Amino acid sequence: MKIVNLLKQYGEKKVVDTVSFEFPKGKVTSMIGPNGAGKSTVLNIATRLIPRDGGQVLFEGKDIKDWKNKELSKKIAILTQSNNIQMKLTVRELVSFGRFPYSGNRLTKEDWEHVDSAIKYMELEEFENRFIDQLSGGQRQRAYIAMVIAQDTEYVFLDEPTNNLDIYHSSNMMQMARRLCDELGKTVVMVLHEINFASFYSDYICAFKDGKLHTFGTVEEVMNKKVLKELYNVDFEILNMNNKPLSVFY
Amino acid sequence: MPESLNKNRNIVMILSVLSILSLLAYQFIDVNMKFFDYAMSIRIPRIMGILIAGICIGTASIMFQSVINNRIVTPCLLGMNSLYILIQTIVFFVFGATSIIVLNENILFIVSLVIMGVTATAIYGYLFRKTNYNVLYVLLVGTVMATFFTSISNALMRVMDPNEYDSLQDSIISSFTQVDEANIAVSFVFIILIFIAFRKEIALLDVITLGKNQAINLGVDYDKVIMKILMSVTLLIAIATSMVGPISFLGLIIANISRQLFKTYKHTYLMAGSVLVGVIILFMGQIVIEHVFSYSTVISVFINLFGGIYFLYLIMKNKGVA
Repeated sequence: MKIVNLLKQYGEKKVVDTVSFEFPKGKVTSMIGPNGAGKSTVLNIATRLIPRDGGQVLFEGKDIKDWKNKELSKKIAILTQSNNIQMKLTVRELVSFGRFPYSGNRLTKEDWEHVDSAIKYMELEEFENRFIDQLSGGQRQRAYIAMVIAQDTEYVFLDEPTNNLDIYHSSNMMQMARRLCDELGKTVVMVLHEINFASFYSDYICAFKDGKLHTFGTVEEVMNKKVLKELYNVDFEILNMNNKPLSVFY
Repeated sequence: MPESLNKNRNIVMILSVLSILSLLAYQFIDVNMKFFDYAMSIRIPRIMGILIAGICIGTASIMFQSVINNRIVTPCLLGMNSLYILIQTIVFFVFGATSIIVLNENILFIVSLVIMGVTATAIYGYLFRKTNYNVLYVLLVGTVMATFFTSISNALMRVMDPNEYDSLQDSIISSFTQVDEANIAVSFVFIILIFIAFRKEIALLDVITLGKNQAINLGVDYDKVIMKILMSVTLLIAIATSMVGPISFLGLIIANISRQLFKTYKHTYLMAGSVLVGVIILFMGQIVIEHVFSYSTVISVFINLFGGIYFLYLIMKNKGVA
């Protein structure tokens, strides 16, 4: 997926200003940056959740505007932070919605096999008949990931997947993102606030500042004192841990 | 899961039996056998009126709540009731209570239905495009419009001839006793057409309740679907209102009872439940009004009374959740 000169503005303020880059296929890419840098906006535009004011989002060489929504939903999955469901919905029913792009409301036997294996992959068997609103934050997040797995897409976009999760569940979540890429061969793109998570679990990092793409590159290219200082206006110390850059700020 | 599926099916069965029983009770209770045919000819149109109101309000309320993602809203927010009253008032004001338009129930019905349908489609269609498909904004405008329509009606009523005002009151209070036979068939045809025309969108309701982002993620053209569903809600409410007058709280009651009975997200069940509960309540209410109160009151009084109490109960229960 390729983003070309993307533009989004609210009134006079350009929240995304001529951003161009390409998501590397089969890798984990994290988007970082201070609040209001436009990273979530880029993610939302790339996944057609919000309209754009200029530029292009090319998927397999064709602008996502020209894709049929249904076809796109077999290739791209997006999980946002705000998921409040007022309905009485069990985990299994939620996961089965992942098959909606393929079979609508009538799931086939093959669809149910996808659902079952997604539930198994996320180790949700014992909760599968529980209602979503009876789950803890971490379990609910896993249920949503299971739905994304059932959706069986090449690309998975996660908007702040560690939001509202404690340390244990956050790191679980990040390992899961890694597994989606390494085991299931998906291209994973996330918006993250914790830069050390970005450093430890992704292949590429995309750093935004003031609506512009600041740096795009491998973890080592972005995780250094100079870039981080420019991004966040805070002094950083970079340590080395397991051959990965670990940042400490003060 | 099959367990809960069976449970839901059973509830549908029980509700269907209850509604058939209440239909039969209404049809045959206290019939004077000497005038059997006459009694039937009086009661059958009312039964049809109740069925039409139940189907329209029951389905429209569930669809509306699911689209707005809120259990304590009713389609009244779209301002159709006040629009109906305004149309009636204007017709009485301009043509007088004795004109052919007013006396011929058929013409009045078609005129109200067409005006409501066209106005609502035009206004809401325009608003949707203008506000970039912002549902809440459209609702807000809907409530303001409702006040606007009511004010015009009130202004006209003030300067109206008292006799005409009197017959106008009769026509804008909802009641099943003045259902016109000729309109029944027309209504049913319209209802069927609406369900055929919007069947694809209605089938998407289950996914819609996952929220906007998830619905788009799963390949739904969210904005267009929402607009079409609201369109069908308006049309269904227009039919019910032109048929039996404004019944405000019924939708709120039956939709919520249905959601309490069926602990599921499946709209097939929710809508069926809502329709059946609505029909049962209306038959029971009508029996009480005809045989206990001997027509001294109308059903909307009851519905608003109990609807109001139920509404308060819902708000207390959902404190902070709503």
